[in-house]
Amino acid sequence: MKRILMLFSLLLLAGSLAIGQTVQISGTVTSSEDGLPVPGVSVIVKGTTIGTLTGTDGKYILAVPQGSESLMYSFVGFRTFEALIAGKNVIDVTLETDLFKVDEVVVVAYGTQQKRDLAGSIATVKGDAIASVPVQSFDQALQGKAAGVSITMPNGALNNPPVIRIRGFNSITGSSYPLVVVDGVPVFTQNVSQTRAYANGLADINPTDIESMEILKDASATALYGSRAANGVILITTKKGKGGKTSVTYDGYVGYTEPYNIFEVMNGDQYLEEKNVARTNAAITTPLVRALDANGNPIDTKWSDFIYHKGFQQSHNVTFSGSNATTSYFLSVGYSNQDGMIKNSSYIRKSVRLNIDHKLNQWINLGANVGYTSGLNESPNTGSDFSTAGAARLAFVLPSILGPYNNDGSYNINGAAIGTQGTGLTGISYYNPAPIFDKNRYTNQTDRVIGNLYASVEPLKGLVLKTAFGVDNLSSESTEFLTGLTGDGFSSSGNAWNSFYRPNRWTWTNTINYNKTFNEKFNLGLLAGVEEQSTKSNQWTAEKATVSDPFFEVYQGSWVTARMGGGSIGENYFISYFGRANFNYNKKYYIEGSFRRDAFSGLSADNKWGNFGGASVMWNASNESFVQNAIGSIFSDIRLKASYGRVGNMSGIGDFSSLYLYGSGLYGDIPTLAFSQIGNSALQWETSDKYDFGLSFGMLKDRIQAEISYYKNDINGLILSVQQAPSKGIPGGTIPQNIGAMTNTGLEFSLTTYNYSTPNFSWTSTLNLSTLKNEVTALAPGIDYLVGVTGGLETTNRTVVGEPIGNLFVVETHGVDPETGRRIYVNAAGREVLYRHEITAQRWVYKDDGSVSPAITLAGDGKVWASPLPTLFGGFDNNFAYKGFDANLGLTFATGFSVYNGSKAGLRDQRFWNNSVEVYETYWRTQGDVTNIPRPVYGDNVSNGSAIPISENVEKGNYLKVRNLSFGYTIKNLPEATKISKIRLYAQLFNAFVFTKYTGSDPEVSTNGNANLTPGIDRNSAPQARTYTLGVNVNF
Amino acid sequence: MKNILKIAAAFILLLTAGCHKEYLDPVPQTSLSSLTVFDTKDRVEAQVNGLYDGLKAAQFLGGRYFVYNDIRCENFIPKSSNLVTGYSTWNNSVITSTNEVQNCWAAGYNAINTVNIFIEGLDESWNAGKLTGKITDAEYNQYISEALSIRAICYFNLLQLYAKPYSMNAGANPGLPLRLKAEKSSENNDLARSSVAEVYAQILADLNSAEGKAIANYATSVLNVTRVHKNTIIALKTRVYLHMGNWASVVSESAKIVTATAPYTAPSGVAFLLNPSYTNIWVAPYTSRESIFSMPATSTDNAGSQNSLPSYYFSGATESYYLNTAAGTAYATMNAADVRKTSLTLASGNYFISKFTDYTNHANYAPVMRYAEVLLNRSEALVRQGGSVTQEAVDLLNAVRTRSFAAGAYNLASFPTVNDFYTLMIEERAMEFLGEGIRNMDLMRLGLTIPAKNGGSMGSVAAIPPTSTGYIWPISAQELTFNKLMVGN
Repeated sequence: MKRILMLFSLLLLAGSLAIGQTVQISGTVTSSEDGLPVPGVSVIVKGTTIGTLTGTDGKYILAVPQGSESLMYSFVGFRTFEALIAGKNVIDVTLETDLFKVDEVVVVAYGTQQKRDLAGSIATVKGDAIASVPVQSFDQALQGKAAGVSITMPNGALNNPPVIRIRGFNSITGSSYPLVVVDGVPVFTQNVSQTRAYANGLADINPTDIESMEILKDASATALYGSRAANGVILITTKKGKGGKTSVTYDGYVGYTEPYNIFEVMNGDQYLEEKNVARTNAAITTPLVRALDANGNPIDTKWSDFIYHKGFQQSHNVTFSGSNATTSYFLSVGYSNQDGMIKNSSYIRKSVRLNIDHKLNQWINLGANVGYTSGLNESPNTGSDFSTAGAARLAFVLPSILGPYNNDGSYNINGAAIGTQGTGLTGISYYNPAPIFDKNRYTNQTDRVIGNLYASVEPLKGLVLKTAFGVDNLSSESTEFLTGLTGDGFSSSGNAWNSFYRPNRWTWTNTINYNKTFNEKFNLGLLAGVEEQSTKSNQWTAEKATVSDPFFEVYQGSWVTARMGGGSIGENYFISYFGRANFNYNKKYYIEGSFRRDAFSGLSADNKWGNFGGASVMWNASNESFVQNAIGSIFSDIRLKASYGRVGNMSGIGDFSSLYLYGSGLYGDIPTLAFSQIGNSALQWETSDKYDFGLSFGMLKDRIQAEISYYKNDINGLILSVQQAPSKGIPGGTIPQNIGAMTNTGLEFSLTTYNYSTPNFSWTSTLNLSTLKNEVTALAPGIDYLVGVTGGLETTNRTVVGEPIGNLFVVETHGVDPETGRRIYVNAAGREVLYRHEITAQRWVYKDDGSVSPAITLAGDGKVWASPLPTLFGGFDNNFAYKGFDANLGLTFATGFSVYNGSKAGLRDQRFWNNSVEVYETYWRTQGDVTNIPRPVYGDNVSNGSAIPISENVEKGNYLKVRNLSFGYTIKNLPEATKISKIRLYAQLFNAFVFTKYTGSDPEVSTNGNANLTPGIDRNSAPQARTYTLGVNVNF
Repeated sequence: MKNILKIAAAFILLLTAGCHKEYLDPVPQTSLSSLTVFDTKDRVEAQVNGLYDGLKAAQFLGGRYFVYNDIRCENFIPKSSNLVTGYSTWNNSVITSTNEVQNCWAAGYNAINTVNIFIEGLDESWNAGKLTGKITDAEYNQYISEALSIRAICYFNLLQLYAKPYSMNAGANPGLPLRLKAEKSSENNDLARSSVAEVYAQILADLNSAEGKAIANYATSVLNVTRVHKNTIIALKTRVYLHMGNWASVVSESAKIVTATAPYTAPSGVAFLLNPSYTNIWVAPYTSRESIFSMPATSTDNAGSQNSLPSYYFSGATESYYLNTAAGTAYATMNAADVRKTSLTLASGNYFISKFTDYTNHANYAPVMRYAEVLLNRSEALVRQGGSVTQEAVDLLNAVRTRSFAAGAYNLASFPTVNDFYTLMIEERAMEFLGEGIRNMDLMRLGLTIPAKNGGSMGSVAAIPPTSTGYIWPISAQELTFNKLMVGN
């Protein structure tokens, strides 16, 4: 408190220094397009923050300090205009529309800059580009919008956080996920749910509240985030009030979502026929039979009908905003209720936001940006990987000759598993989705406040002191109920589990900013700051089992057994000092340097502090007269940029990773203590040296704007959990050490063209292309590779030096031997081996001479096969407007990568599992058949890749997606009485089509979510969702 | 300009002065620092219990270890082909990278290192006098004794799966890497395998040392069953010597805890005694005097689903194992009147053992050793030592047999040859210890072939002769990778 008082007295003191004589200037601002007055235009005395806004009539009056040279007029959508005062008292101005958006201001670390003054690499996506996309969180809509930014939806489960990679993978055991900063507050990201219902931390930011998203890519742009900058930074800026009068908007849509590319599996007849052939081939003498359903028909169940449906979605947002000379405000209320394509999955968000900014006087500015969001996620176990309850898997694994219900209407169950209804099937441990969907429940409720309060003073011209205190307070409550009837809760006779997770963070940032122009040509900007960030998290769970009465479905009900709860407490703290200096000579030669010194509590005393920084230079060739004279008629703008910097990644460092710890547990009912963590006092941040070279240019008066960048990230000191010999008995088996190295290099190209821009018809295209070459250059000494394991069971990836991270690792197969119908494996020595499941004594034989071969194993015969990282990806957006009509076509694409289609292994597995229709139609029947499906042998879990991943199931993932397709019509000039200035009606199709040769559901997939070592795995993941919406935007 | 500098300097000074330096050194609230774990007797005692907790790991003696030793043999058939629940072990297709091969190895050695770290830490504090007045000499000795016993149990159990039996080549085959020092850093990954004989020598050295330091008994029956005392160690030694074929030592060790005549009991220390009812051994609180050493479990502390013994043997569990009823199996051998047979559970046409039925809470204790085994160990050793069947041996065998099958008493005439005795003894042990992890150990120590089995739709498995590489498990792939001196089986 004492400090705050001191601070304010200082601010007041500072404020009293700025006193002088003034003259009054007034005028009207009009638009060149229609000659009408423009309200809300910012009029500022050049080189100061003294200014005002035009009123609804476009008029302004401003007290200007004597001796001021000129006034700057700026407004969104218009090119900034500078008017010399030269003793005038009335200055009328006509603003030209900024058709090609060259005067945009972008948000940078701890400030803003003119887009054209940026030497660092920053991509901007405007909020309105994503506002009406029917997604749960804005990051889902960012795909294909910015060069160098790869966004992958792991699957179609509702509110599942996308995998975000900015310029490649930047860590191995830590996270490669970027830092996200909302209005200056670094926020909690990724999944914040403790249960099966996903809760994307970023869904708590209502997409319609977002003004802009800046993606900082190179070290020059990110250096001010120091130890957290290596993965890139996404800055989210929420909307501010603008324009002279109060603006009221309503945005809403309704629609539905559905899965696409659901696997087509064998129906009852096909199943019976194929499996009985397989049984005969396995010398099983009892064929499977099929019972009749209640209507007397043979049972034939399409299980996907019990999993998927069309989910209804709706969203409504109302905003009020406005501003006057001293105060601007933006208030929004949002409600979104989305049902997923998987039954029983839904997401409801209720949000409010208030952003306010007030000029107390000429020197003091106060404001706040506060958002509150309540999110309710509900979902069944949607699967991915190997869970026997996973809905996505149940949709295709269950035999179609089993029914969900018995003929008396009861559930067809046998203990935890589905009942076999006299079919002769045995050994089924999968669940019946009908009772599970009816009874089991997974929910997550988040309540969140993200906000900051700030005050700034400008005691002297160009000098701004700012203090901002931000919080991200998240409460996340998860619940699970598992019925004791069947399924996961069967063994415990019913089970209720609740968890509460509360990560809280405060960030206090204090900066000094000084901008000055000397001699009209030397432009200097200085920034210095101190930032503290404290994060505490607290999580606990409680569990009860054996329900007293089936009536109870909540933890608070009556249960027989209390289970031991669990939980964790985390705490960390950053203190940082940072500074930036930028300088340009006459907007021609630019140089900028940034520095940050961070201390992080999780490291040992000797290693707490780290230094990070970056520098950039830029040459604006188009401001050179010799260049202008030579090619100025074609090139309206040419800039060359270069930057270098070193930033860090601390995501792999735990809160207490430097300490030797003992954990406690139980031995029966006696407490225990045991060595649980080897402290590593040598642990440090991972460091990333980033190089960036860029060329940007504008052609034909900026009708064509392009940017080409080459980047290289050298990442060193990667923290690897160095595997110890298991016989050492180290807790967890690994010790983290800074030993790995990796590089990412790539080219980025982005091109915006204003193909047509007449008043009646306009067409704008934005293309971005990115290449990525990732290479792991060092692993721990003595470690030749790192394995990536899917679902804790299947080794699918291997990371080796000299190759990209996470290569797919499989045993090579050469299709099916037409002579015998056996799968042909290739052993480590390159010799072909056949697998014969039913000949148990001699399953593996050499193809050439029929002699017995040792069993093929993944460890012994596996090969590093293909990279799952796209080498080229991007997006192509087209916006059309014709009179009142508008249309958007958004394409995304990726090529040069492979996907391990593990679901295909399941779809061909010859146990009781149902198979794809492809198996039924093309399995090997007689000698000479050329096919991919071997002779079916009941119980064979090897020939198709379930037991050992095989190259047969690795496919090229190249795809082109119609990500977004929308048509709209805007009605203007409504009668005054309606008080409506504009209505836009639109229809939108999100995730419309995929063009690919990939045979799985969708090549855009990540069964293992955000994990670095297991990309490109498609194992029982839910398909992607397609969403149809009809919407309306109304401006009052 | 001066003003600017002044203001800036004041501003920065003000802000830096206030930072929360103490926040840079947070203290965990849910774990203890290594510096404080020998501060009080309670903490030392908690660490001793932590050693047992290591032994009780779900992948080890908490459940799965016993399961592997039964299902790789002929008496059980799985309901499910789930690889997570031991199917590869059942159909003898485990390889170096199979989960159970790697997990069991890691769990065993985790327990060993926990012991080594404890012994090193305790000795350090003890020798530095930091424990003076906190624990007595006797307590110090007792803790060391328990630690050594646990280490011996770990090595003995790992030997049974990962090394050839002692009887082959007199223990000269590769055994295990002998880790006897605390490992707390990234050093020392490489360590070669000691021979089987060397590992046995270490086991005996630990047990002998432990026996001299051990407590005679604890205050409660739960502790007597779940912590090691003097008679536990002696009982374990009878098993170790039996596996080494050192019959004389089995006889001499067992004499310490088996009276000359029935009712057999341990004359001093914890008075082991056969429980009158076979079925009651498996009923809570699982602490009869027959239970020499068991891993406790409660509803809050258990091996959990897919690991606990009920997950593998309870009739209602989805992935459990039922009895193979083919000729020659324990089921087929049991007399219809034998309680061990009549107490089986029939479900969906299959027979399940009824020893571990608390599938809801997974709270059945996992029996490491029962007094019945000591009696049978002694009986067998007496005969093998002397080369002829003696009345004492028959009486000991009958004590176990007739408890469940009153009409089944043997007499000397039941064994025309000494080999008949050996055969019936192994059969008896198979029937008595179904589901207790003894079967594989018995086959191994005698170098017997693991019989073939037919699991119907689960497939059939050929017999595994001692000459087969599959007779023992392969070494963990991770060990082979990260311990450069390790060689495989």
